[in-house]
Amino acid sequence: MAQTKDIIYGLWNDEEDLLKAVQVAKDDHLEIMDVYTPFPIHGLDPILGLSESRLHIAGFVYGALGTLTAFLGMSWIFTKDWPIIFGGKPHWSVPAFIPIVFELTVLFASIGMVVTFYVINGLGPGVVNPTIDLRITDDKFCIAFDKADVDVSKVESFLKNTGASEIHSKTI
Amino acid sequence: MTYSFTGKNKTWLTAGMVIGLLCMVLTWFGDDDLHTRFWSNFLHNSVFFTGIALMAGFFMTASITAWAGWYVVFKRVWESISLFLVVGIPLMLIIGIGVYLHWNHLYHWSDQSILDPNDPEKFDPILYGKSSFLNTTWYIGGTLVLGLIWIFLLNKIRSLSLAEDAEGSEGFKKHYGVRKYAAIFLPFAGFGSAAMVWQWIMSVDAHWYSTLFAWYCGASWFVSMICLTILLLMYLKSKGYYQNVTTEHLHDLGKFLFAFSIFWTYLWFSQYMLIWYANVGEETIYFKERVTNYPALFYMNLIINFVAPFFILMRNDTKRKFGSLGFTAGLVLFGHWLDFFLMLKPGILHTAHAVAGHGAHSDGADHSHGTHAADGAAHGAESAAHGGGEMAAHASTFEMGFSMPGFLELGTFIGFLCLFIFFVLHMLSKAPLVGANDPYLEESIHHHT
Repeated sequence: MAQTKDIIYGLWNDEEDLLKAVQVAKDDHLEIMDVYTPFPIHGLDPILGLSESRLHIAGFVYGALGTLTAFLGMSWIFTKDWPIIFGGKPHWSVPAFIPIVFELTVLFASIGMVVTFYVINGLGPGVVNPTIDLRITDDKFCIAFDKADVDVSKVESFLKNTGASEIHSKTI
Repeated sequence: MTYSFTGKNKTWLTAGMVIGLLCMVLTWFGDDDLHTRFWSNFLHNSVFFTGIALMAGFFMTASITAWAGWYVVFKRVWESISLFLVVGIPLMLIIGIGVYLHWNHLYHWSDQSILDPNDPEKFDPILYGKSSFLNTTWYIGGTLVLGLIWIFLLNKIRSLSLAEDAEGSEGFKKHYGVRKYAAIFLPFAGFGSAAMVWQWIMSVDAHWYSTLFAWYCGASWFVSMICLTILLLMYLKSKGYYQNVTTEHLHDLGKFLFAFSIFWTYLWFSQYMLIWYANVGEETIYFKERVTNYPALFYMNLIINFVAPFFILMRNDTKRKFGSLGFTAGLVLFGHWLDFFLMLKPGILHTAHAVAGHGAHSDGADHSHGTHAADGAAHGAESAAHGGGEMAAHASTFEMGFSMPGFLELGTFIGFLCLFIFFVLHMLSKAPLVGANDPYLEESIHHHT
């Protein structure tokens, strides 16, 4: 059993209000545990100070790996391992390799990125993630605070002042 | 805010045009009897900038039809670029009239003596078979009729857009008008550009054809158009205009530059690989000629137009920085100019040699056999014979202005580029830079990628 957390969170009805609230929390130096939204909100990442994802760097590496696998693999197969003449072309027919090289680049990059994403986020078969409130996947915008990190009374007044429609506490 | 076209700018651009004109005059007097280098440079640059104008119109109308909003804040730039057809179509008509009156011999099909079946010595059955489309009537008529339709529709869109500025967007009346004319323009631009690519560009290699060519050529124009848009917007921003055109808009243009560079490569490679794989002589001659006699340009084309934009613009931040985006736009614009050079010059040089009687021996073989396979083989033999024949005189097949662009070609390019920019800035200065009352303007100003 993983460690439980006591959290307090507020729900907003509009993303513009949420953005303003996040800005206020940042200005007040309240330590936000996380923000949950039903869809990506433009301009939220810079306010939260989230750094750019490095997943695409991994994607590039996987893609390059796919390129090399396909190109070197086919080169070896068609010149050393099992040379066959197709349509009177030389064994090492680079133009004919390009489409397969492209396909394996895409395949390696996409599968590699999906697997990396799942591993980094601790997702996998059988994993149950605590959901703070089901409505954050529908029409509610949520800012959650870990009670261990913040002054709870300060957070409560912050939630009231910034127009949260609901305030809840929960143990997850 | 309206762009003010200052006297200083006009002086510089006029100086550029004078350089271009001077280079063209110098080319004319240092030329062979047919003035092949002069006319091929004229065709190369006219077709390049006419196509860029057409693609600006095409992309603008496609965006209008797709209800896109992000570009609206700088829509006047595309309106202005697209109206360059007013200059470009007459330039193409001059070439067409030149073909008709035999001022030039850019196109092998314009040689009437090869179309007479009673003269087996010179008769060319392939060009005879194509002569119902590859003829001056189609060339001049197509340019004139399609050109007028394009100009009429783009002019309508422009004037409705200006009327929207003045009269407001009451009931979106003007905007619906723009939408209607945009939708009419699209098929004329899409199908019409393909027909004119066959006439203007592909028919310099009159015996050869590729069904992919119009797409490939159109993609080349499209990427060049995006490059010029990026560079123009950067220039205008540096002069204090278009402050509401932000990094977000340039980022999206950068994405288009990146994506359509890959699209161009995809078409280039599809055409190459199918022809390479099928290995039919009449088709492979196109690439055989270019790989053998133009290897530097052939591979540089791929490096400048694919490898460079692919790796430079792959990252998010390089599309958002003026330095890297502007550099790539300039490089790729020049790269696609080279691409058109490589599309046109080898075929034109071949025709010039055939008309001037170079390689007459293999030409005879070409015309007396006349089957498809023999034609391809004979053309190969022709280039070989030509190379052999020239060996004694020049010790190589290198010809300045054909094997690679010389200073005169670069000067001519600068001249046409200055003419193009002069026209676009002139059109920009005639109307407010931001089209007020466009229903998508707010969306565009708040554009966020």
